[in-house]
Formats: sequence, C-alpha cells, structure tokens
Amino acid sequence: MDPIVYVSLGAALAAGLAGAASAFGVGVAGAAAAGVVAEDEKNFKNALILEGLPMTQSIYGLITLFLILMVSGILGGGFKFTANNPDNIVKSAILLGAGLVVGLTGLSAIPQGIIASAGIGAVAKNPKTFTQGIIFAAMAETMAIFGLVGALIMIVTGVGF
Amino acid sequence: MEPEAVSGILNTTLAVVFTWVGYKTAKIIWKYTPYSYPNARIKAMEAKLLTEQRFNELAESRTLQNFVVSLEDTEYRDYFANLSSYDVESIERALEKALAGTYELMVKILPKRVNPFFRLMLEEWDVRNIASVVKAKLAGEPAADYVVEIGTMLPKVKAMAEAKTMEEILVILEGTPYEEPYQKLLLGEIDVRTFETELYRMHYGKLLSYALSGKEDERVILEEFVRLRIDKLNILTVLRAKAAGMSAEEISPMLIPGGSVKLDPLLHVDDLSMALAELDSTKYGPVIREVREEVERDLSVLERALERHIIGRLNELNRFYPLSVASPLSYILQKEREVRKLRAVAKLISDGLEPERIKELAGDAA
Repeated sequence: MDPIVYVSLGAALAAGLAGAASAFGVGVAGAAAAGVVAEDEKNFKNALILEGLPMTQSIYGLITLFLILMVSGILGGGFKFTANNPDNIVKSAILLGAGLVVGLTGLSAIPQGIIASAGIGAVAKNPKTFTQGIIFAAMAETMAIFGLVGALIMIVTGVGF
Repeated sequence: MEPEAVSGILNTTLAVVFTWVGYKTAKIIWKYTPYSYPNARIKAMEAKLLTEQRFNELAESRTLQNFVVSLEDTEYRDYFANLSSYDVESIERALEKALAGTYELMVKILPKRVNPFFRLMLEEWDVRNIASVVKAKLAGEPAADYVVEIGTMLPKVKAMAEAKTMEEILVILEGTPYEEPYQKLLLGEIDVRTFETELYRMHYGKLLSYALSGKEDERVILEEFVRLRIDKLNILTVLRAKAAGMSAEEISPMLIPGGSVKLDPLLHVDDLSMALAELDSTKYGPVIREVREEVERDLSVLERALERHIIGRLNELNRFYPLSVASPLSYILQKEREVRKLRAVAKLISDGLEPERIKELAGDAA
C-alpha cells in the first residue's frame, strides 16, 4: 500500500473508531437515561451528565485526526511522504499506529457507556451515589487518555512537525 | 526490510486486531445494551417501592378511603381511579391489576431473548387460579372469590369460575396444556392434589427448560432463580406433609422435579422437627436457623423467610451482574411482596383492627 493510504487510514481510524465507540457508549447510557426519566423527570440532570461522559473519546479521535493530517502535510500543504520508500512507509506506518492507538483505546467509550448506564440506574435508586457513579465511569476514560498520550508521543518522536 | 514485507506485516496485524476487536465489541454490545433501558428504569421503579415508614402511615389510615387516598402519589393511583366503592374486594382487585401491570411492563421493556420468561412467570398465576377454581368447585364454594386478577388466560379462568358443571370447565380448558391433567381428574384417574401438583410440574418444567436454553449470565441467573423457587415449593410441601404425618410414599409424587436440594433424606424422617434438622445441613440451613423456633408453630414463617432468601440471592446476583435479568426478577418479587403487604393492610383496616396491630400483622405478611 502507498504511504498516503496508511496515513489516511490512521486518521480515519482514530476519529472513526473513537467516534463510533462514543456513539455506542452514549447510546447505551442514553437508553438508561430515557428509562429513568420515564419513571421520574427529576432524574434528568444527573442522567444527562453521566450520559455525556462517553463523548470525550470522540474528541480525542478528532484531535488525533487533525494532528496526523497536519504532520503528514495533508492539511495545510502538500503530502510529505509521496515517495514509496522504506523511510516514508515507516513514518506513515507510525501515523497509522498513532491513529490506531487512539481509535482502539477510544473503544473504551463502549464499556464507559455501560458503566454510566448502570450508574444512571443506581443514581435513580439512590441519588447520593451520583459522584461515585461519575468516578466509576471516568475510570474507563483513563485508557483513552493513555491512548492519546501514546499517540502524541508516537507522532512527535516518530515523525515530528 | 523490503517495503512489501513491511506492508504485509502491517496488513496482517490490522486484520487480526480488527477481527478480535470487532468480535469482542459486538459481544459486549449484544450482552449489555439490551438491558440498559429496562434495568435503569427498574432501578428508578425500585426507588418508588413503598418503605416501611410508608406502610406504617398506611396502617394509620383507619378507613379504606384514607388508605386509597394515601396511595394517590404512587403508581397505584391509576388502578384505584376506577374503584366503584371503597370495599376490600375492589381494592384487592385493583392491587392485583397493578401487579399484572408490572408483569406486562417487564414483558414490554425487557429484551426479546428474556421476555418470554416473564410471560411464563405470568402463567404461574394461571396455574394458581385454575387450581383454586377447581378446588373451590369441588368443595362447593363460590369459585369467583378465589380468582386473582392476573394471568395470561384470565377470561378463561373467570369463565371456569362461572361454569355450572365440571364438564363445562373441560370445554373451556380445551386446547390448553391444562386440558389433559383436568381430563384425568374428571375421569377419577388422579385426585385434586395430584392435579395441582401436575399443573405446577408442567409450569416449572417449562420455566426450567427456558432457563436452560439461555446463554452465559442469563442461564446462570434464570436457572438459579427457577431452582430456588422449586426448592421453596418442595421444602414447604415436605414440611407441611411431615407436620400432617404423611409417609415418604405419599409425599414423593407431590414434589416438583428440578430443585437444587436433595429431599430424599427428609422424606424418611418421622416428624417436622427431624425434617428441619435434616434441612439444617443443606444450603437453606442459615435460613431455617433464623426462624427455627417460629417455624415449628407456623410454617408460613418459613415460606416468607424462603421468599426473602430468594430476593436476597437475586439482589446478590444483581450486584454481580448489574446489566442482566437479575434486576427485573428481583424487582418483580419485591413488587409481589409489596402488593401482598398492601392487600394485608387493606384487609386488616376493613376488619377494624388498631393501627399498632395492623403494623405488626402486615410485617408478618411480608
């Protein structure tokens, strides 16, 4: 495959996988939110906050997409790795890896949505568990943050601006 | 390394990683997402279950009208809206309809792969109703008084209660699974006790086979739930039979297969005390020990203790599998207990008992 394919794939996977996972996560938590609001409208505020937690992975995906497109020159100039030589293939593979790391760790949005969903139910039963619910759901976020940090290191050290 | 080799390694890695991730993600989504909406809604419904303090307030109602008014801010309001009069029968009917409504809600909101189980659970009310109607008819009592307003074949049950002859009931039951045992009863091949056992055997057989057809967590939870219910029925049957001095040969046909506890040693003991001592070494030992002294006087104490044990076990499973069928099962049992307690309070108010006595007796009913 040409380097352009790897770079584009990396950018697409970062934003696409993380975005799709966020959509699933928000969907799962949203269904739970609808369930508790159907029983009592007072649950809306707490449910909304918990429901929004799995959205962050899509932001990390978007940041990575912009970074990959910028360092490879697709955004704001010409593509830097046009020639199909080993150096360019390695650099484009690093960008693909960076995108993949963010995309795959972005899948944590799905379990985060499941945790948020259980949290929404728990908060509806006992509103005092709201903070704990947020903390439990936020734990799944750590993996996505690690992924973003890893991707930044890969991009900066492996390819550079 | 050649560029083609690098490309090959990358492509293979991508294919492997994506296949694995895709499979795992799809599995997680299939397993948990269908429970997201119903379980959250059930948790919110659990928050609305009546507390002990609320029952104490209800016990102070003095009149049935006050009792109904006190429940105005609960979901029972809709069911009390059509009350023709504030008599205990109408209130009991309304409460039964509320419980039936809960079952229907479960069937509606739960994932398709488990909602047939709740429809099957609803059939237990058919079994109870049919057995009650047949027993009442044989005893020459007004059968309609024994009909509970829940079940999948309520119109048929009501028609049975109004039937003039026992043969008419056979026509009503035609085409249902209960036709065959009833036919045997009519022909005198079995007695009414065996008929009732036969109905429960059929019902629990269906529940167990549905539970065993499930997968992973669902199978674990449903199977344990059904076996616990079978154990409860069998233990109570054996102990009641022992209290009545029945022999092992007489008790054995009354038991429902599929329980998790071996009851053979219990069948051969001489009396209730020995049967309780025998049960002590089973997993129900701690439950028995808690109520040991009262049980020897009143077996209904054990019935309630076993019911509490089942709810407790389901709550444990619910904590272990938060997005699973354990939550709706636990809720439905808690709701049944609440309705039973409300019926008891309404009955005691109509009997004119003092609030303190109502609180005491209603606590026992749960």
